[in-house]
Amino acid sequence: MLEKCVASPPNILATLQAVQAAFGYVPLDTVPAIAAKLGVTDSDVRGVLSFYHDLRTEKPGKHVIRFCLGDSCRATHCENSLAAIEKKLGCELGETSPDGKFTLEKVYCLGNCALSPNMMIGEEIYPRLTPKSATAALEKHK
Amino acid sequence: MKVYIPDDSAAVSVGANRVAAAFPKDVEVIRTSSRGAFFLEPLVEIDTPNGRAGYCNVKPADVPGLLKKKPTPISKIPFLAKQTRFTFANAGLAKPYDFAALKKARGMKPQQILDEVKKANLRGRGGAAFPAGVKWQTTADARGQPKYIVANADEGDAGTYSDRMIMEGEPYRLLEGMAIAGLAVGASKGYVYIRSEYPAALKKLRAAVAQFTDFEIEIVLGAGAYICGEETALLESIEGKRGMVRYKPPFPAVEGLWGKPTVINNVITFATIPDIITRGADWHASLGTATSKGTMPLQLAGQVKNAGLVEVPFGATLEEVIYDFGGGMPTGCKFKAVQVGGPLGSIFPKKLLETPICFDAFAKVGGILGHGGIVVYDDQMDMVALARHLMEFTAAESCGKCTPCRVGSTRAREILEAILDGDGSDDDLALLNELGDTMKNGSLCALGGLAPMPVLTAIQYFGKDFRRRK
Repeated sequence: MLEKCVASPPNILATLQAVQAAFGYVPLDTVPAIAAKLGVTDSDVRGVLSFYHDLRTEKPGKHVIRFCLGDSCRATHCENSLAAIEKKLGCELGETSPDGKFTLEKVYCLGNCALSPNMMIGEEIYPRLTPKSATAALEKHK
Repeated sequence: MKVYIPDDSAAVSVGANRVAAAFPKDVEVIRTSSRGAFFLEPLVEIDTPNGRAGYCNVKPADVPGLLKKKPTPISKIPFLAKQTRFTFANAGLAKPYDFAALKKARGMKPQQILDEVKKANLRGRGGAAFPAGVKWQTTADARGQPKYIVANADEGDAGTYSDRMIMEGEPYRLLEGMAIAGLAVGASKGYVYIRSEYPAALKKLRAAVAQFTDFEIEIVLGAGAYICGEETALLESIEGKRGMVRYKPPFPAVEGLWGKPTVINNVITFATIPDIITRGADWHASLGTATSKGTMPLQLAGQVKNAGLVEVPFGATLEEVIYDFGGGMPTGCKFKAVQVGGPLGSIFPKKLLETPICFDAFAKVGGILGHGGIVVYDDQMDMVALARHLMEFTAAESCGKCTPCRVGSTRAREILEAILDGDGSDDDLALLNELGDTMKNGSLCALGGLAPMPVLTAIQYFGKDFRRRK
């Protein structure tokens, strides 16, 4: 698997993105193998891994929610919908729901600011969120 | 019968795909880019003898019988009719891209292209407003080989979406601008660094690059780091490293990607190039204010009735943009403040709405135009909570290389949290001012240098919010 993920020319970020695309996350125990393959140190790999918000070292839930905390979503009071989602999922931003179905992540801007507040589940954007529409969107993902 | 329905991701988010699917088989559905009047999406258009006309806010259930109703001529929609569109002239149309500018540029000497861009006085649209022609000339004159063209498509400023619209709606305009830059400076390859929050734009861009044979372009996907919109951090990220800001000089124009001379511009800057080549530098320099030439695609967001893309020549006032185009506040909301230029932009009260859209007019009143994002806040917004949010953002996104930004943002966030919890004092406001000065003067890049601006302007104009809690 790693063989396929290693970028050419060697590029730490691109390799980690490929590993995450394959596994859903970058298991920490793969770091030495990635480092050896790229000819860099473990700490080089760990440095990149911890820098980028997209890269995860733990297995995410079945669906990843990217809840926007950008300025326009703040301006349109997204905190109400966020509170409703956290209550419904029983987890907070940065956590996975106890049933393992959803990982709730924050994102700073989805570029859908004219229709704020927004969140993205998978690649689908849910605009003009209200506490009601936000929790209803969760029902669509089993 | 033909109907035109946008497949822009904003239009899709409010149901454009479901509306398209609701039309019967005998209606030809053509998917287009969005005109950017997002408050009207899904906007379904038809051809009439007098040009396009449309049905606004269509739901799938409206589709049966829709075409028997009277549509609104697009030319009669004031939000669109009053704009001066060049970069977004084809938005919403289904016009094949003709590459006229690239054809013309092929017949020009590289120095002629450089002179044209310099004469047009095109200033970078990503935020720093640096003259693009000067950057290009520096790279053209630099000794290193090979040379690279990099498009900064890491549109991280919250409240902005014009890069996304170009990449989804007319990606060839960006690629053409990059190819012309390549001819001008003698570059062999281009890169587009696109943020991962834009999956729809990535797909459209990939498809366009696959068809584009005039200049070699590679797409590099970001990984959710705001700082990678800073040009040197972006270059580090393309190289696969942590997105740490580099010391300048050397500037990227001389030592950029892999240490080679690199032109790095924002998507909109490149997308403005084709018109400068086909219409000429004098045309571009004839639009706008004394120091800000051409048009600016502004992006309205937050608490505003008609949110969307507004392309107008520099010089219009903020008030005109928010009220004449944006239609003012939504029902039941009262204006409190506006933030222009993303999360690092200053927060302005009502009295500064007379400020013209112009890089220097904004600088004069202590603000930035940035990438043209305009976010309107209503009177329910607590400025202390907003300031804390913005400092939390900076603390999360700081690359950590310089101390003023790394430590300053965290300390500022802590102080604002204390004020928010009712534990603040007058000393705290003095401390925030002092800390802000240190960040402004001592930070390595614009993130640390500008991050205090919204906080300090919030204290300056909305001091009551901060003092109430003492």
